[in-house]
Amino acid sequence: MTASDALALLPWIVLAATAIVVMMGIAFRRRHGLTLGLSLAGLVASLVSLYLAAPLAPRQVTPLLVVDRYSLFFFGLLVAAELVIVILLYDYLGRQEGPREELYLLSLIATLGGAVLVASTHFASFFLGLEMMSVSLYAMIAYLGPRRLSLEAGVKYLVLAAASAAFLLFGIALIYAALGTLAFNRFAAALAAVPGHAALANTSMLAAGVALVLTGIGFKMAVAPFHLWTPDVYQGAAAPVTAWISTLSKGAIVALLLRFLLSFHAAHRGILLVVSLIAIASMIVGNLLALLQDNVKRILAYSSIAHMGYLLVAVLAALRAGNPQLAIEAAAFYLVAYFLTTLAAFGVIGALSNSSGEPELVDDYRGLFWRRPAVATVFVFSLFSLAGIPATAGFIGKYYLVAAGASVAVWTPVIVLVASSVIGLFYYLRIVMTLFATPDPLPRAFSGRITPWSGVVLGVMLAGLVWLGFDPNPMIRLLHSLPPL
Amino acid sequence: MNALAFYLAAVIAVAATLLAIAGKNAVQSLLYLAVSLLAVSIIFFGYGAPFIAALEVIIYAGSIIVLFIFVVMMLNLGRRAAQAEEQLLPPHIWIGPAILAALLAVEMIYLASMAAPAAAPAQAAVSPRAVGLALYGPYLLGVELSSMLLLAALVGAYHLGWRRQAFPEVKDGESSSSAAPGGDSLRAGGRRSAGAA
Repeated sequence: MTASDALALLPWIVLAATAIVVMMGIAFRRRHGLTLGLSLAGLVASLVSLYLAAPLAPRQVTPLLVVDRYSLFFFGLLVAAELVIVILLYDYLGRQEGPREELYLLSLIATLGGAVLVASTHFASFFLGLEMMSVSLYAMIAYLGPRRLSLEAGVKYLVLAAASAAFLLFGIALIYAALGTLAFNRFAAALAAVPGHAALANTSMLAAGVALVLTGIGFKMAVAPFHLWTPDVYQGAAAPVTAWISTLSKGAIVALLLRFLLSFHAAHRGILLVVSLIAIASMIVGNLLALLQDNVKRILAYSSIAHMGYLLVAVLAALRAGNPQLAIEAAAFYLVAYFLTTLAAFGVIGALSNSSGEPELVDDYRGLFWRRPAVATVFVFSLFSLAGIPATAGFIGKYYLVAAGASVAVWTPVIVLVASSVIGLFYYLRIVMTLFATPDPLPRAFSGRITPWSGVVLGVMLAGLVWLGFDPNPMIRLLHSLPPL
Repeated sequence: MNALAFYLAAVIAVAATLLAIAGKNAVQSLLYLAVSLLAVSIIFFGYGAPFIAALEVIIYAGSIIVLFIFVVMMLNLGRRAAQAEEQLLPPHIWIGPAILAALLAVEMIYLASMAAPAAAPAQAAVSPRAVGLALYGPYLLGVELSSMLLLAALVGAYHLGWRRQAFPEVKDGESSSSAAPGGDSLRAGGRRSAGAA
């Protein structure tokens, strides 16, 4: 590794150093505010170091990682989301008993894992990044311990994530057996070099391998046949941790999925079929099951399954298109909008929580608008954005997805996207109606004070949602500079 | 590695794993798991990767499984400890794993006694030196990332373990009410060893 390799990798190095510094800080002085300060300083420093690394892109740093505009963009997105979540954590944990500091450390390491995923061009770094996320998440989900459903959720996630990692590893082994390489950027060459007589065996082994890898990725994305853990884990984990799972963990794996699938250059027809079936199933299952729920966190869990299904339409378009640029832009824009929206929604849930729990049931929100108008407004806009109502980021994101899908004529998933969005409207609007309902005369459990920190973060999320909804052009210009992988 | 040797080891690996999953006795399951790992290491050895085979034995069958067995045995301490200890390793528990392990030992001796590394498709043996050079050369970042992964596991285990001690009354109440054999936790074991001393 040369000096300029290290400079290109500086954001990743700063992020790793932040985790170490925070750990040492905890070891010497266990102070909640100090841990928050160190985490924030490190995250900001790693965002700033993106500007130092950017001139060197694109650059392959060792066989494992590549620093290009694509990985830098997603690095920035992940770290910015982590910045928001760390602030939400501070308020949330301030109301809880027990040690608080380790959660920051774990979420920083998990963020590093996600950052490795978005830059990895090799199965070794892919698997290591994924496991860094999973192992940190086991403890993050179970963090609150046995008093709530937290521990149960952690154990569920542990068992299923371990099983999905086994599928993933077996898939990697099959791909290695078929192609003789673990590096993504050699897949195309290795495929071209397959001698004629072995081609059939190799491609079926390869297709099986890719399908198994998709199983592992699908588990992390929580798409339809692999989504069973999602509602329980969303419900059991603390609200900021749930926000982490539904934004960073999914965003990082989507970025990796695009790079992985596009590295074959020519997609196997079976794989295309599998991806579109998963997309359709996720959109339908997510939206229909959300209708049956009374728990806001579970509704958001099912809604996230549907949203990942929408995103797969962009992935499908990228695989079908000769030039995947539009589809990559659509996926990236959708992720930005989804991050803002989800962080706002879980930020509201976390901000309203108290030491005994979170407002989980839809009924807990009855008349919230009349008691806490500012918070309720943020919640309303994030629900609008999830539903894809115009003048929010979610609408532009969905429009982008439909445009990308229509440009390569993947009509069935696009039609399912539009139709299931209409179903989705129903349960989002049900929560919105509850927010504006006449409040009960009884005092409500969840109406504690919102601290200024959370207030500022929620305000920024709201501003971002509306701004992207009205004027998406600056973001689209930024996305135009992403390379076509 | 000839086909017979491969299939013998492979069948033992699959059978031992199935038995490990299906077994109701934790110690027996772990013994079967150890046998399964030994069988896999024989396959590695036969395919010209003696270093990986050795690592498989040292790390998995050696330290990790022994750690598991120690923990399981320690958790069994308690009021019924003496009784439990007698029941821990009766012959019917270790005889199955022992037979499979003996088969593997015979196969290992057979493979080692063959002069040249068999006509495997997998070319030359990978030496420890080559592994080390790859790990600390192009894949250095992978080693660093593994260390962060282990740090996450360590911190997570520390945190979850800490909480258990922080609320002892809840924990003890649960375990004594559901007094299953081996349900007593480490605390009971501590009392017992103090008595023995």
